[in-house]
Amino acid sequence: MSAVKDPAQQHNKTLVSLRNLNKHYGDFAAVDDISLEIQDGEFLTFLGSSGSGKSTTLSMLAGFETPSSGEILVGGKSLVNVPPHKRDIGMVFQRYSLFPHLSVRDNIAFPLAIRKLASAERERRVDAMLKLVQLGEFAHRRPSQLSGGQQQRVAIARALVYEPRILLMDEPLGALDKKLREDLQDELRQLHRRLGITIVYVTHDQEEAMRLSQRIAIFSHGKIVGLGSGYDLYQNPPNAFVASFLGNSNFLKLKAQGNAVASFEGRSLSIRLTAGLQADQDVLLMVRPEKALALSVEQAAQEPLAAGWNEVSAKVVEVLFLGESQTCSVVTSGGTAMTVKALSAAGMPLKAGDPVCVRWATADACVYTQWAESDLNKAAGAH
Amino acid sequence: MSASATQHTGGAAGAAGVATVPAIAPQAPSRLQRWRGAGNLLPALLFLGLFFLAPLIGLLLRGVLEPVPGLGNYEQLFANSAYARVLFNTFSVAGLVTLFSLLLGFPLAWAITLVPRGWGRWMLNIVLLSMWTSLLARTYSWLVLLQASGVVNKALMALGIIDQPLEMVHNLTGVVIGMSYIMIPFIVLPLQATMQAIDPMILQAGSICGASPWTNFFRVFLPLCRPGLFSGGLMVFVMSLGYYVTPALLGGAQNMMLPEFIIQQVQSFLNWGLASAGAALLVAITLVLFYFYLKLQPESPVGASNAR
Repeated sequence: MSAVKDPAQQHNKTLVSLRNLNKHYGDFAAVDDISLEIQDGEFLTFLGSSGSGKSTTLSMLAGFETPSSGEILVGGKSLVNVPPHKRDIGMVFQRYSLFPHLSVRDNIAFPLAIRKLASAERERRVDAMLKLVQLGEFAHRRPSQLSGGQQQRVAIARALVYEPRILLMDEPLGALDKKLREDLQDELRQLHRRLGITIVYVTHDQEEAMRLSQRIAIFSHGKIVGLGSGYDLYQNPPNAFVASFLGNSNFLKLKAQGNAVASFEGRSLSIRLTAGLQADQDVLLMVRPEKALALSVEQAAQEPLAAGWNEVSAKVVEVLFLGESQTCSVVTSGGTAMTVKALSAAGMPLKAGDPVCVRWATADACVYTQWAESDLNKAAGAH
Repeated sequence: MSASATQHTGGAAGAAGVATVPAIAPQAPSRLQRWRGAGNLLPALLFLGLFFLAPLIGLLLRGVLEPVPGLGNYEQLFANSAYARVLFNTFSVAGLVTLFSLLLGFPLAWAITLVPRGWGRWMLNIVLLSMWTSLLARTYSWLVLLQASGVVNKALMALGIIDQPLEMVHNLTGVVIGMSYIMIPFIVLPLQATMQAIDPMILQAGSICGASPWTNFFRVFLPLCRPGLFSGGLMVFVMSLGYYVTPALLGGAQNMMLPEFIIQQVQSFLNWGLASAGAALLVAITLVLFYFYLKLQPESPVGASNAR
């Protein structure tokens, strides 16, 4: 679920539009015909594994790469032939890229000194920024004397001090350890809420993307394959790739028997009403592990199957305790592997080898009619 | 062993980081430990003392003992206008050579850094090759090139730029030209190493902050090159002060430099006292320059950022 509900998001005003953007390196298309509208004041994340084109797209926005073709418009004006230093965009780099020869204060003042601001105004703004990122007492230090998290905060201050309309962040927290990363994510979210600036964020960490952004654009092979809020992308993935890329998923291969019925391993299941299904057409069903229930045979006998639910029988392979949750790997009689996830508090009185009934609500399972076999195991490459 | 390890981690963070840490307590034992095993240095120190320090001190003593004890030789060195002229020549040539080799070496080092990797190695090899070629051969080649009927003069006359051959050898012009060429590798090597270590992302950060390429060069790139410029410049200046072969071949008899003067005093006049006074002056100047170098260059900004 999108963590920030920003009022700025309501008046959907487009600030940046990417139109049919391409970037080719020889025969290789790093960015393949991308079109995207970025709203004013939104926090948008480019999510994808390495080499998916997300960083190249960001570089083109910053002006370090020139598009092979296509248009980048900011406020209706083309940015393609504007050099980086005239774009008035802020950027935070993965490896901080602070000026090692300048103190923290001078690093933050650098963009203002370039813009020839009066020194009183410059001091005032730098002080305000130091306060914002809580680095006042480190102002005189060199970047090399700061920790990674502090350096990144300096980089954020340097990118914000000249009040750019757009802030680009290229995996800014990638080099930090988990705890610090989560702290900075919270700080970033608050910063965005307070300043109302447009942020385009690049990451390969889907949890980070979920935690921070209002909208996520999922990149794969130079294309945007999914665009929407984290909630929508997770609950109703537009395609099998997004389903397998975001979180964990169970895929069942079915044969359609009508618009809302399909057969799985000889048993008939109800599926979401999908228009245009033909008899015997291959259909892919996706169930999130936490939406499925695993019941022992006795439990299943006590609780009759509710209307709008499906049930398949399977055998437990493994039960794993993961702290707050538990997972149960099962395999159906036809050999399809599934995973069921439940909160530990709910209990899971199963052990390996037990027969088990796996149930899920028809409404919770997504149906795909087109997919590539390679889409289904992308989840492994996402982390 | 453990002390040297902590020393290293602290050293990477920069000297000021150590200074701001209030706890000084663990320093005392670490200093003790650092000197443990210094006895193993004894043979090396003995060798150095016997074959380097002792002769050097002997030479320096001659400056104040011969022909009569006292500072007469130094007095003569500074008071005599001909000798003062030698000092002036030495410094101005060393200064000009440093300036020209920096101006020529900087673009070369930059080009080596910027071109694709394979090409850069080739260019660096060419620079090294020229450094390894016999100094005498290179100096004589300049003599041939720069003489009145040499290629340079002929080309300039053919182009109609000059009517008469320029006098470019047997004077300080020749010395500056020849030595600037010889010193370029000593600028390029440290400077190229410094430039190689600069993270190109820092320059991207500069431009996204609003710096035009020009501003970026002067406010980000050049300050980051400073350690290389400093060490290269100092090395060339000090080497130029004591250089003998090139000034002797390309220079004239009237415009002597200090090393030539020292040799003249020893070989022609057998005036060891004055010669060692001149040598002592060179050593002293070098030490003073080195002191200022250490003062002005307390930390390497590039090195510190790369130590991560």
